Amino acid sequence: MTMTRRNFVSAFAVAACLLASPALAEDKGLMAIITPSHDNPFFKAEAVGAEKRAKDLGYDTIVLVHDDDPNKQSEMFDTAIARGAKAIILDNAGADASVAPVQRAKDAGIPSFLIDREIKESGIAVSQIVSNNYQGAQLGAEKFVELMGEEGPYVELVGREADTNAGIRSAGYHDIIDQYPDMKMVAQQSANWSQTEAYEKMESILQANPKIKGVISGNDTMAMGAWAALEAAGRTDVILVGFDGSNDVRDSIVKGGIKATVLQPAYRQAQLAVEQADQYLTSGSTGQQEKQLMDCVLIDESNAKALETFALSE
Amino acid sequence: MLRQVSRPILAAIVVFSLSGFTIVWDKPASEAGSKAAPQTDEARMAAYADANWQDKVVPVIEAHLVPLAKLRGELAGGADKAGAAYGLRPEGEANPWNFAVSGEGKIVKAKLKSRAAKLEVDTDDDGKGDVTIQLGPVIRGTALRDAMPFIDFTDFRDQIEFAKLANALNDVAHAHLSLPESDPTGQTARFEGVFTLRGDAGTIELVPTKLSIGG
Repeated sequence: MTMTRRNFVSAFAVAACLLASPALAEDKGLMAIITPSHDNPFFKAEAVGAEKRAKDLGYDTIVLVHDDDPNKQSEMFDTAIARGAKAIILDNAGADASVAPVQRAKDAGIPSFLIDREIKESGIAVSQIVSNNYQGAQLGAEKFVELMGEEGPYVELVGREADTNAGIRSAGYHDIIDQYPDMKMVAQQSANWSQTEAYEKMESILQANPKIKGVISGNDTMAMGAWAALEAAGRTDVILVGFDGSNDVRDSIVKGGIKATVLQPAYRQAQLAVEQADQYLTSGSTGQQEKQLMDCVLIDESNAKALETFALSE
Repeated sequence: MLRQVSRPILAAIVVFSLSGFTIVWDKPASEAGSKAAPQTDEARMAAYADANWQDKVVPVIEAHLVPLAKLRGELAGGADKAGAAYGLRPEGEANPWNFAVSGEGKIVKAKLKSRAAKLEVDTDDDGKGDVTIQLGPVIRGTALRDAMPFIDFTDFRDQIEFAKLANALNDVAHAHLSLPESDPTGQTARFEGVFTLRGDAGTIELVPTKLSIGG
């Protein structure tokens, strides 16, 4: 195996991370928390929520970022295994590609607790806790159809293809929207969950389809990118609905920009995974089925103000 | 002993014993040259829903059936209390309760010319619809799937397959209904079905498993 510059840099970063982690481990040992890039506040909220709960429960933590790169993720599993982690909390880098590293950790006696994204096999991870994306997407789509007055040309921005969540949200959207024959989808493109990519895609879609009335987006970062493009084109009349429940989109909703989003309880989900890991480590069982769904909540102008860091205050 | 069993057969045994249901391949997946089963998710879930409807789904509903008026009284004491007594839901945090109910009421509104046809029924005699009976063919929600104790998300590949299962069960429910041909507004509907409790049960979106209209 040749070590590419990128691998070397990331290995170096991992080493730096390890050195920086507190040397004073408490009794319960180390918990590794591995997520996609914190550039997306959703993943940051997961990491922060998991880390806080783990520390509260007496674990030392390392927080690692795989940037949706399966090779990088694989290295991080090796790191966690080498460090003798007691458990791994994971938001994975691909439903197929993540099966092998989770199996490797299991073989090394380290249980994995997955959040947000599933892997394509069961019986390898101890828990897979995911948002009920299908239910959430249907909520978002119902709001979208209502805002559109049940008619008009619209665009769908889809997430990264390797991610099951992209497909399930799109399916949830269409199971609702396609019941309305006057809703016409004029473009459907992937912007790979990315804000900059969504900006560029939205710009070109607008040029080809200047008459669009609405945009439904598979996540909030793409919604933010699309909204910036719509603003730049003077098209703030376009109805835009996102998915995630980020603070950025909340602020836009409050200001009358983006119309709605769907909250995934990311912060709580990460904490729950840590709690199940702790229970598993101390009692040998989580008391739950492996795969668990958590319901999503529609966020619009009526409740946006109660939203903070992927949690809704009572 | 085990060594003499060929690999595809062993794989089939593992699949058979690990999952709650059986997938029957025409030939081993390895020979088919693809990792995918030789059916779409939709077709596979439709077959599963059909195969389990009479023997498993219907008995669960019959065993948990509660008169709607009685359930309303119980819900006044809190959803979790009523849920623990009569409800059905998958394990896990914050999963909403599903209830199998029976009831009757006057049809106050009917929308028949739609892919998502529905009846609004007044079951508490206040002149306003409080139960929406979904007639389909497009029936929303996952109430039927989530009310079934024998269905576990872990046994399914991912959310996409699991969503198709919910739709497939709704499709079977739809197929068992005999739908009104003319406007039934003003007539009485007697129904059994399942719904997911969201919020305060002010309006119930029912997936009907039995429906008769008349009188």
